[in-house]
Amino acid sequence: MTSSLLHPPAHLPPTVALQLSQQAPALLRSTPSAISPYSISSLWSAAESPELWTTYENLMLSCLRTGDEQSAHLCLQRLTERFGADNERLMALRGLFQEATAEDDAALKKVLEEYEKILAQDSSNMPVTKRRIALLQILKKIPESITALNELLDASPTDAEAWAELSDLYLSQGMYSQAVFALEEVLLITPYAWNMHARLGEVLYVAASSNEGGADRSLSESMRRFCRSIELCDDYLRGYYGLKLTTSRLLTMLSQGSRQSKTDTGLPPPDLKTVESLNELATSKLSEIVRRNASGESGWGGYDQSDIIAAQELLNRDSTPITR
Amino acid sequence: MPQVPVQTIHRDPQLFYWILIPITIVMILTGILRHYATVLMAVTPKKQDLPTIREQRSLLRAINLRMNANAISTPSFNARKDYMVTALENGAFLKEPDKKGQAAPNPMTDPAAMEGMMGMMKGNMAMIIPQTLIMGWINAFFSGFVIIRLPFPLTIKFKSMLQAGVATKDMDPQWMSSISWYVLCIFGLQSVFNYLLGSDNAASQMAQQMGQMGPGAAPQMFGPGVDAYKQYQAEAENIAVLDHQYTLEGVENRLLQSVKV
Repeated sequence: MTSSLLHPPAHLPPTVALQLSQQAPALLRSTPSAISPYSISSLWSAAESPELWTTYENLMLSCLRTGDEQSAHLCLQRLTERFGADNERLMALRGLFQEATAEDDAALKKVLEEYEKILAQDSSNMPVTKRRIALLQILKKIPESITALNELLDASPTDAEAWAELSDLYLSQGMYSQAVFALEEVLLITPYAWNMHARLGEVLYVAASSNEGGADRSLSESMRRFCRSIELCDDYLRGYYGLKLTTSRLLTMLSQGSRQSKTDTGLPPPDLKTVESLNELATSKLSEIVRRNASGESGWGGYDQSDIIAAQELLNRDSTPITR
Repeated sequence: MPQVPVQTIHRDPQLFYWILIPITIVMILTGILRHYATVLMAVTPKKQDLPTIREQRSLLRAINLRMNANAISTPSFNARKDYMVTALENGAFLKEPDKKGQAAPNPMTDPAAMEGMMGMMKGNMAMIIPQTLIMGWINAFFSGFVIIRLPFPLTIKFKSMLQAGVATKDMDPQWMSSISWYVLCIFGLQSVFNYLLGSDNAASQMAQQMGQMGPGAAPQMFGPGVDAYKQYQAEAENIAVLDHQYTLEGVENRLLQSVKV
């Protein structure tokens, strides 16, 4: 349990978050309420550890998720006692708490004003800048949010998290080429992140579905991205899923004999035979993953259940016309 | 070979209680004091303002572009290359774009650099002052005592190490003087401090000296006195001459060869 408290809780499934926050009161009681770094008693009591404060922070986030505001407030209080109210990260955490406990949009707007006041004093406060961007999204002010994010990225262009967020925002607005640009920036920072390769493949696939003119170009690019993500991570379900989708689309397109324009990625379009064998590979790999996961073989259990269901559905969709 | 008669010196047992133990206790207490003095004197690193962050991270972005250019397609890379090279050569990311041609300021006049040096001075002071005081104190009160006899034989070479402050030529090197005990304490109490204060304490002088050597050895990328504009120009040239290759070229064939169902 403690180990999952030491990791950022953003991707915890709801059940785990609930379990963590249910144990929060007991955990808070068992740890000392205040640790001063200068007291004599620190000579014989256990030294404070960075893990403790990470635990508090993550516990607070889990508690806010499940609505245990008392425990969350207690965590926040202890963190404030230790690091002071002026700490940048704590300012953001306090804002997060206020956002979570806000009743309506008016209260949220008040929090937003508070953020703007902090940023007017110190524009280099990154955690609060990010909170402000997130809050703008909650308030459905996507264009303002994009502008703020662009300003942040102008000052700090090595922030992969912010680039990824920007890409999601652009995608939500249907601005595909901008979304692709932002994801390419992420890849420049983390070139071996297979999930990012797959994500870029997905964005390219969506872009290809939306405009028919240059569809084949971004489709083959998308297919190659999925190939790369599988190359970086064996048996990557999301990669194979995307590979199957893209190759199926490409096959129909190639068999229709649509004119291949010269790609703008500088790479020649893939030939029909390669696409066919890639499609076969993806189909057999997907069914292998689904089958082995269903039979509970060891080493095949780490997949998200919803992903498995989606893969199964994709395979069924394919096999229906054959059995007809 | 005839046995060398064992040297015996009759010592007052009080020597043990009034010299050996006090020196040890004082050394431990000084170490603890130094730890807390360092903790109290530690200054939080000065916060950088937004233009400085921008100046540094833009350079990092340019370096990232050069290192990981293979991850993006050639047209994307060329667009970025054109933008980056122009911006770097114009000094668009600089903190003060007007000052780009000028020589780097003298680090002694830069207040931010002075602060760093003051911090280092303070750290040194916290080390030197107690050491001087205690050395003087030990010299004044305890010099010239032979306090213990080590339970194992030693060669003559150890005489200068173990019998500092006792000028007897023929005494067996097993005997140990008070000043040598002090020196031994300086080097030998690290594990005691680890036990008392946790492993990342600032009590030991040795650890402090090591720490000062560490960061000094690494090349400073954004330190005071480094001209960011020169770094920009060098990086712009590096990007401009880069031979771009796209990782996705032929990835489908690589995949088909490597994955067996």
